Amino acid sequence: AAADAAVMPSLKTLRGQLAALSIAAVVILIGVPLWWRTTETYRAWLPVSQIQELANLQLQLSADVEVVFARGTVTPEQQKKVPLTLTQDDEHVVDGDLRTTICDLMVTKYEGCKVSNVLNSFVSRGHSVEADLSLHTLSESPCGSLVVYVIPESSSLLPEDVDVYVGQRRTALLRIGAQTRVGRTLEQLLSHLEPRVKQVLQVMSFSHTDITAALSDRVRLSPGNKESIADSMRAFKSSPGYEITFSLLNPDPKSHRLHWDIEGAVQTYIQPLLRKLAPLANFSIDSQTLYYAMLGVNPRFDSSRSAYTLNSDSLAHVINPVEARLGSNAASSNPVLNFLLYVPDAHHSPLHINDHKKQEVPSNAFHSPRWGGIMVYNVNDFYGPEAAFPVDINIDMAKVMGVFLAQLRLLLGVQSSAPPPRFLVAPCSSAGIADWELDRLMWSRSVENIATATTTITSLAQLLDQIGNIVINDNIAQQVSSAVTSLQLAVAELESGNLRFALQYSKEAILASERAFFDPSLLHLLYFPDDQKFAIYIPLFLPMCVPILLSLLKIVSDARQRRREKHAKAD
Amino acid sequence: MAAPLTLLLILAVTIRAALYRSSLADLIAERVEVVSPLTAWKRVVEGLALLDLGVSPYAGDVFHETPLIIYLFHFLVDYAEITFMVTDVITAVALYLAVKDYNKQVFRKQKYALEAERYPLDCLELIRSPKEMYYIPLKVAMFYLLNPFTILSCVAKSTCGLNNAVIALFILTTIKGNVLLSAIFLSLATYQSIYPLTLCAPALLYLTQRQYIPVNFRRFSFWWFVAQYAFMYLGSLFVMICLSFFLLGSWDYLPSVYGFILSVPDLTPNIGLFWYFFAEMFEHFRLFFLCVFQINIFFYTIPLSIKLKEHPVFLIFMQLAVISIFKSYPTVGDIALYLAFLPVWSHLHRFLRNIFLVSCVLLACSALFPVLWHLWIYAGSANSNFYYAITLLFNVAQVGRTVTETKVHLAASVSGFVYRSCCLTVT
Repeated sequence: AAADAAVMPSLKTLRGQLAALSIAAVVILIGVPLWWRTTETYRAWLPVSQIQELANLQLQLSADVEVVFARGTVTPEQQKKVPLTLTQDDEHVVDGDLRTTICDLMVTKYEGCKVSNVLNSFVSRGHSVEADLSLHTLSESPCGSLVVYVIPESSSLLPEDVDVYVGQRRTALLRIGAQTRVGRTLEQLLSHLEPRVKQVLQVMSFSHTDITAALSDRVRLSPGNKESIADSMRAFKSSPGYEITFSLLNPDPKSHRLHWDIEGAVQTYIQPLLRKLAPLANFSIDSQTLYYAMLGVNPRFDSSRSAYTLNSDSLAHVINPVEARLGSNAASSNPVLNFLLYVPDAHHSPLHINDHKKQEVPSNAFHSPRWGGIMVYNVNDFYGPEAAFPVDINIDMAKVMGVFLAQLRLLLGVQSSAPPPRFLVAPCSSAGIADWELDRLMWSRSVENIATATTTITSLAQLLDQIGNIVINDNIAQQVSSAVTSLQLAVAELESGNLRFALQYSKEAILASERAFFDPSLLHLLYFPDDQKFAIYIPLFLPMCVPILLSLLKIVSDARQRRREKHAKAD
Repeated sequence: MAAPLTLLLILAVTIRAALYRSSLADLIAERVEVVSPLTAWKRVVEGLALLDLGVSPYAGDVFHETPLIIYLFHFLVDYAEITFMVTDVITAVALYLAVKDYNKQVFRKQKYALEAERYPLDCLELIRSPKEMYYIPLKVAMFYLLNPFTILSCVAKSTCGLNNAVIALFILTTIKGNVLLSAIFLSLATYQSIYPLTLCAPALLYLTQRQYIPVNFRRFSFWWFVAQYAFMYLGSLFVMICLSFFLLGSWDYLPSVYGFILSVPDLTPNIGLFWYFFAEMFEHFRLFFLCVFQINIFFYTIPLSIKLKEHPVFLIFMQLAVISIFKSYPTVGDIALYLAFLPVWSHLHRFLRNIFLVSCVLLACSALFPVLWHLWIYAGSANSNFYYAITLLFNVAQVGRTVTETKVHLAASVSGFVYRSCCLTVT
């Protein structure tokens, strides 16, 4: 019985120890992996290495130029020796820190005599405009490329003081200089031509300053002079769509009953331009009429001209009070271009806008960068002092739309810088924008889109890398992958000179990158610091773990004591 | 013993019938403490209506009982009240017979131990007399039938009564030693709600000890028995699941019943611990804590089996207590089942130090449940914290009582290796 009594307590303690060990085993073997698996933040795989490659933005812009020699510029045997293609590249490092480089590539193809017959017929006689039109019908040059026709110096196609004629389509007529006339070799001719073709390219396609301006989002530029700052801030940033709103402001409906055929005017004047700009962005137009909308500024009466005047300083205060009353299409996040037509009230007619030099502005309109334009339309000439109020007035939409169209061009970024000396630029086509102007816009927009999308994607990747708490769902990963793919394709298309595809891919890249960056599902666990997680675990698990730990410690100390006793017994 | 039992049964049936006819029946059937989304009679009726329409009763996330229940009530819906009263009677009779048989075995063990003179003399007060043990089965039946929790559960027509009946039958067949029926009833109980799976361990322990197979992991006979039991258990479970599939025609009862029990989507307040916790849990941690809470029920099986190897019936009692405290949708009907076992160990109640405190807390909480519910939902002057506090207190009291019972039982069984005296023979 005594032996039994000695055996029983150890059996009981053994069972107790076994029970405690089994609890600890379950906690460690099942609990810890379960905790690890069920509380990890879901992070889908992102192509991080490709994003890092994109971070060094190395764009290569490639423009195809086709040079056609007319009769009289090269001798027949020189014609046979003209090389077919000549590639010239120029590398500019825009920003060493961000490793942005632009490499302009000019692939020049020298055509001997392919279409020169038609050209030759115009060389001796003819007008440049007709020549340009008929030459265009011969060869349709794809988007982004140029054709330069070299005509002899003696040709009367161009006026005396003009060396280069830039056509409506993507063609230019270049007159060979007089310096190299006698006994010139082919190499001399080509070396003389290259810088001039390059100059034409810079006017018609892209120049270093244009591309750098397009990258102004990404690269810090030196300020430059005031005009260049104003120029760079005027145009809207690249966006997948724009909203255009035409508003007629009538502060005095008791005196003037205004009629404007806005629908017809938009169809006739604005739609052709927007149709041509369709590859760039989507446009939506609406119009409204506002009554009792006053300008926020009181115009001063100028007795010398017997008219009311608005100074250029007070123009800045005009927009704000009016803007509050303009409706806007709140359903879209696209930028809005507002074009306001203000008909001054009968007591403040006529109203003229003065520029900085106190001269009247001929168009009587002004525009605000990245906002829109305002035109003042004086109607006091339409009626005499004894007319019965209200007077019906039909607004001359041609004049109005002319001003608005010019402002629209400026606001959308179609450059209006003066051409270099001895250049003659053809007047715009009926659409309001020349093909090469569109190409210019497309070049700069593509670069801008690519730069913005790259910045967005690289900063998103950096953010996701640094903050481990952000959940990366599968749709985010898919958007990022598609953005990266589109960017790579856009860069490749720019390299090979397919401008239209480059623009399309760059737009897709921007859309995907913005969607990934601003997705709200990223933020689910963001403000969930690790110490709060412990605040969730500790109240439940600490009281449970304390007895387990204590019993484990007791087991360990008992084992140690038993070992010591065994050693003591052995000794 | 038949006459007092019959009298008791008649009394219980009368009370239940009286309550059925009164206006309290509807009131009780809506109390969240008595019915849960799993066991509510309203939902069974809804499932029956859907079945009559030809739509799967599990469409619409209303009905969460097993298909066998709905097919049972398809035939018995007009006699529902009688069915539930009969169920209670079956449970009580099963418990009565089970405890009677258990007492016989306890007596036998006491006799052998006393003859072997294993008792130290100062433990004689723990030895039980036959007179005490004579009335224990009747007390057990009475504790079950006249327990207000049981009456409330029966009047509310909660299907918890059916679950209790199955578990009681399982206990009866286990104690009688019938391996096949024990496996069948256990699989039926597991099929109803998953948690009785933990009763496998005590059943195995009891049956092996009854058949004198030593519980030793190195002996082949032990593993052979375990394999037999497991085969019978899994076989009958498989048969029941396939039968449900063929009756219903689709597998959509599996996510509706077992998915519902395990993933706890319905957070209606009840007397359990899950609802408040998961109402406030962050979505990110929900899966982890769900797993933790569900593992918590199965967690105590192995340590308790190790500790209480010699006392499988007490282990059954412990497991039932653990299940009814920690299950995902407990009701007072589950509590009533294990409370019925208290008279079996009444000889230890002398040593429970805090029995008065625990009983008072349980009574007070039971009274406070409807009060705080009214304050929270109808008067609007309390909030869920009040109700959950009472829930927590209720469960803490139960756990405290369970733990002290276990401690005292172990102490009583080990100190001096107590086995009951057998100086008096069994009648």
